[in-house]
Amino acid sequence: MSVFAIETKGLTKLHSKNRGCRNITLQVQKGSVFGFLGPNGAGKSTFVRTLLSLIHPTEGEGYILGHSIREIAARNRVGYLPELFRYPDWLTGRQLLDLHGDLCNLSHRVKKKRIDKLIDRVGLAGRGDEKIKGYSKGMQQRIGLASALLSDPEVIFLDEPTSALDPIGRKEVRDLICELRDAGKTVFLNSHLLSEAETICSHIGIINHGKLIVQGKKQDLSSIHSQVLITLVGKEEAWWKSAPSWLTHCEKRQREGGRTTWVVTLNHLDNVPDLVSYLAEKGLAVYQVTPQAPMLEDIFMYWVNRKGDEKV
Amino acid sequence: MIAIMKLTMREILYKRIFHVILILTSIFLITYAIGTYYVDHDLDVSNGMDPLTKPFLSTQLLGMGLYFAAFIVSLLAIFSSVGSISKEIESKQIDPILSRPLSRSSFIWGRFIGMSILLAVYAFFLFLCITMINQWLGGGLKVVVSGMQLLSALALFVFQPILLVAISLALSARFSSLNCGITMVMLYVLGMISGFIEQIGAMAKSTTMINIGIISSLIFPLDSLFRKMTIFLFDSADDPLSFATQGIFGSMSVPSNAMLIYAVIYGLVALAIAMQIFAKRDV
Repeated sequence: MSVFAIETKGLTKLHSKNRGCRNITLQVQKGSVFGFLGPNGAGKSTFVRTLLSLIHPTEGEGYILGHSIREIAARNRVGYLPELFRYPDWLTGRQLLDLHGDLCNLSHRVKKKRIDKLIDRVGLAGRGDEKIKGYSKGMQQRIGLASALLSDPEVIFLDEPTSALDPIGRKEVRDLICELRDAGKTVFLNSHLLSEAETICSHIGIINHGKLIVQGKKQDLSSIHSQVLITLVGKEEAWWKSAPSWLTHCEKRQREGGRTTWVVTLNHLDNVPDLVSYLAEKGLAVYQVTPQAPMLEDIFMYWVNRKGDEKV
Repeated sequence: MIAIMKLTMREILYKRIFHVILILTSIFLITYAIGTYYVDHDLDVSNGMDPLTKPFLSTQLLGMGLYFAAFIVSLLAIFSSVGSISKEIESKQIDPILSRPLSRSSFIWGRFIGMSILLAVYAFFLFLCITMINQWLGGGLKVVVSGMQLLSALALFVFQPILLVAISLALSARFSSLNCGITMVMLYVLGMISGFIEQIGAMAKSTTMINIGIISSLIFPLDSLFRKMTIFLFDSADDPLSFATQGIFGSMSVPSNAMLIYAVIYGLVALAIAMQIFAKRDV
């Protein structure tokens, strides 16, 4: 049995003008929250739609829970919230979930229990029997989320799941994704909102111009540069000018009460002891040495601007 | 498949076009009933009408009723089915459905069976209403038919919208709703006009006109089904003069049984094409 919830080998889907996604080889571990990040039009939704067989691949293979995406079985334990969520607006929210329960072959008893629970969970308590045409965009996205979770899927594809939600709704969805992760589900989160992925994703893939640039654990991808915050007292202002080559950049952040704080970029965090020795040699008193974890935005910009593919 | 079938039936029942058609059907049936009553009443059929005119009028009256009933059923079939796939794709409503463990062919079957059941029930009641009006209010002009004749004609009448749905699904799987709608209406009108051309050709003994009708029937065999239905309904073995072959709503150029088999195969091929196209299509 595959350890991967999702696995693709050279998966390619090209639309007209050669847009789409090309040659994507990717592995998503079971139980992870995988953030598939990229700018608008990078090919994120094309990739997900290809995995779900809504569109057919031009080349390559894909597997969901060990089943080829060309088989119906690949969609047995999958939930999907599309980016453009559209549902028959003449149905009520409850009727929509009932329809999807039938499509998932749920028994009447299980279906009713899950529908009641999910309507409540996505914040639509008391509104489930209203027609979808009367729902706001946010409510439609919420009922779409309930529909995606109805079959208690192992793998959940969420394509821009908070695009229509207010800040409270976004927080609720983030909490829900964390709950799913804790329950051992695999969440494939398509997003261009980095703040959304920042706190919840354990793994990240970055796509740009249809190509997967990088994928891996977020903490591994975070080691794009090793920034250290240091606070010094000393007379020498241009101490860094004669520093060895492992110190690649230095920037003064603030000066307060005779102490100056600098942001120093090193080749690697292993160079921190070298930095401290070097500062001591220079006769500078060191008050603080704090390694800085980069924000997801920094990671994203680093990899998007970097040429060539790379695996971490 | 059953979930899609149920959804399709609910969707049609919810659509405004269905309600409009129901209202128009009621108006049509009332008008037809009044017309049938007064034709019999005003012409005083029981006293001294030409023995050849009476059965001619009788078949034309029922034929006219059934022709317009078939027209209404066909319109409902076309407008209910033209967007059944393409509109779903255009609106992206199909994405959450197809992301479920459901084959594309099951989706087509669900759509086809759902629409066919509803349209067959509607066509069945419409046929019964027309024939009952003829039998109860037709007086001296009522058509004398056996139960077997009624059943054979009914089967063909009900088959017409089912064939239309199959063709419409094949077009809807490939083209946009608008293009599919235009094509279906054009094919329907082509079938209707060529049916008349064929009948006029038979009256005028013009082989060219008959051939045009036959070729058109091969392209779109709906009118042949109607003509064959009138033969089933009006033709009588003990009647030396068949009035089923007379008038504009009759069938002077009689479609063969092979044409019926052709129509059935035509529908099945259309359905197979719909599945084939939809299976390969990106949504």
